[in-house]
Amino acid sequence: MTNILIIEDDDIMLKAIRNILSKAGYNVITAKDGKEAFEQIDNAEYDIVITDLMMPYANGLEVVSRLRGDSTKRHVSIIVVSSVGNEETITEAFRLGADDYLKKPIMAGELLIRIRKLLDNRSSHSKLVTKKK
Amino acid sequence: MWSDLTNLIYSAYEQFQFLPLFIEIALAFIFIAIFATIIAYSVILFKRWKGYVDDKRMAFIRPKIEEMITEQVLINEKLEQVPVDEIEFDPAALNDQIYRKGWVRQVIIEVLIQYRKNFRGDVGELLRKLYLDMNLTKDSYEKMKSVKWEKKIKAVVELTQMDVQISDVTILPLTNSTNPSLRAAARNAYIQLSKNEPFKFFDIATEPILPWDQLELFKIITTTKDIAIPNFSRWVSYSTNKSVVSFCLKLIAHYDQQSAIPAVMELLNNKDHYFRADAINCLGKLSAEVAEDRLIRIYNTQPLICQLEILKAIGRIASGRNLEFLKQEFMFSSNFDVRMNAARSLIKHNTPASRALIDEIKDTTYDENRLIISHCQNPLIK
Repeated sequence: MTNILIIEDDDIMLKAIRNILSKAGYNVITAKDGKEAFEQIDNAEYDIVITDLMMPYANGLEVVSRLRGDSTKRHVSIIVVSSVGNEETITEAFRLGADDYLKKPIMAGELLIRIRKLLDNRSSHSKLVTKKK
Repeated sequence: MWSDLTNLIYSAYEQFQFLPLFIEIALAFIFIAIFATIIAYSVILFKRWKGYVDDKRMAFIRPKIEEMITEQVLINEKLEQVPVDEIEFDPAALNDQIYRKGWVRQVIIEVLIQYRKNFRGDVGELLRKLYLDMNLTKDSYEKMKSVKWEKKIKAVVELTQMDVQISDVTILPLTNSTNPSLRAAARNAYIQLSKNEPFKFFDIATEPILPWDQLELFKIITTTKDIAIPNFSRWVSYSTNKSVVSFCLKLIAHYDQQSAIPAVMELLNNKDHYFRADAINCLGKLSAEVAEDRLIRIYNTQPLICQLEILKAIGRIASGRNLEFLKQEFMFSSNFDVRMNAARSLIKHNTPASRALIDEIKDTTYDENRLIISHCQNPLIK
């Protein structure tokens, strides 16, 4: 089963995404801030991390760089979901290693499609790697 | 018992009459202090109790509402199968007795607004449908009728967030309210909700658009989808509200409305020099070459604020016809700001002729001027 970690400080948004993804059949774990997110990242393996940018303790960009800086977590796909829409922040998120960026307000259908695409890319990539071996 | 108490108060009063004056004053102060303390503590305790009760009520009702919205909207099976307009909600879920209470309906509206801020597309539309189907518009319209301005603002924000039309008769008077907060909220709502004539309130605005409100309006105008942008020169020519004209000048520059140049040039004759400065700034941003000669002609008769704007405008227009004028101002003006802006405008031209002129000035001028030019040439300093 696909494990997804949602990091979001807005309680309503957190519950909403959790409900949508759970209904779509994913195993969803949540974190309310950067500190809780780091604990969750250290404790379990995830296929996808969906993170907000502005959060207490550690922001989304720190989460992205932490995941990309750790060789054991580098494979995790990251989607940034934020209301921040300025070019600098978006490019910074991608530069640090985010795979996708969704600006709030989001479309639930779009989020599901993007998750599915990232998972497809991961599976086709891993097939390619095993073929090469 | 009552007679004993009455006797006690009476004897105390009799004794009080024979006390020295300063003791009487001290006693009066003590009684006032005790009375005020009791009232203050009662108010604090009441507010805390009310807060506690509200928290308990919210802790009970909020999860229930969130669950209802999740089931009816977020994980609604029909969302992917039929258009949003055709989706029917479960009547049993919506007609719960508790959803008839006023304060519960207010919580539903607040939760729906929070969801709407996070979701658009079909989910956003279905949230709106839920708001309409639960007849929550009625609650918002009721608040619009309130005499309290805070309630009116709440109603305006709710209806705007839910994209529900408010009739011009109701909202237009509020755009000109004497209360600045209500005025700003109504203007923001009007721009967002009125698809055909979002700037109609400019016609009736007699109250000023404050600088902070201008920022808010600007953000809304530039981020609202499918907004009909009119020719703002209309208000530049006819509005008697100075803040409306000043705001329109900024919008003309932002939307690069070249057709507005003649109307903006008319403002150069205005008696208010702040107005003239705004108009010159706008002409510069529009790169209005046609206005350049006029600006040079009036330069010497203008106050400093307008002179600086003229120098900036010449740099923005950058036709290259007034390099000598900029050089003269840079070399011979006694005002530091004038020299600084003249140097900046010279550098902004960035043509072979302007670069040669700058090199020539650097070779012939004194140290301070050289320093100003180096400062202005530094791309890291804005």
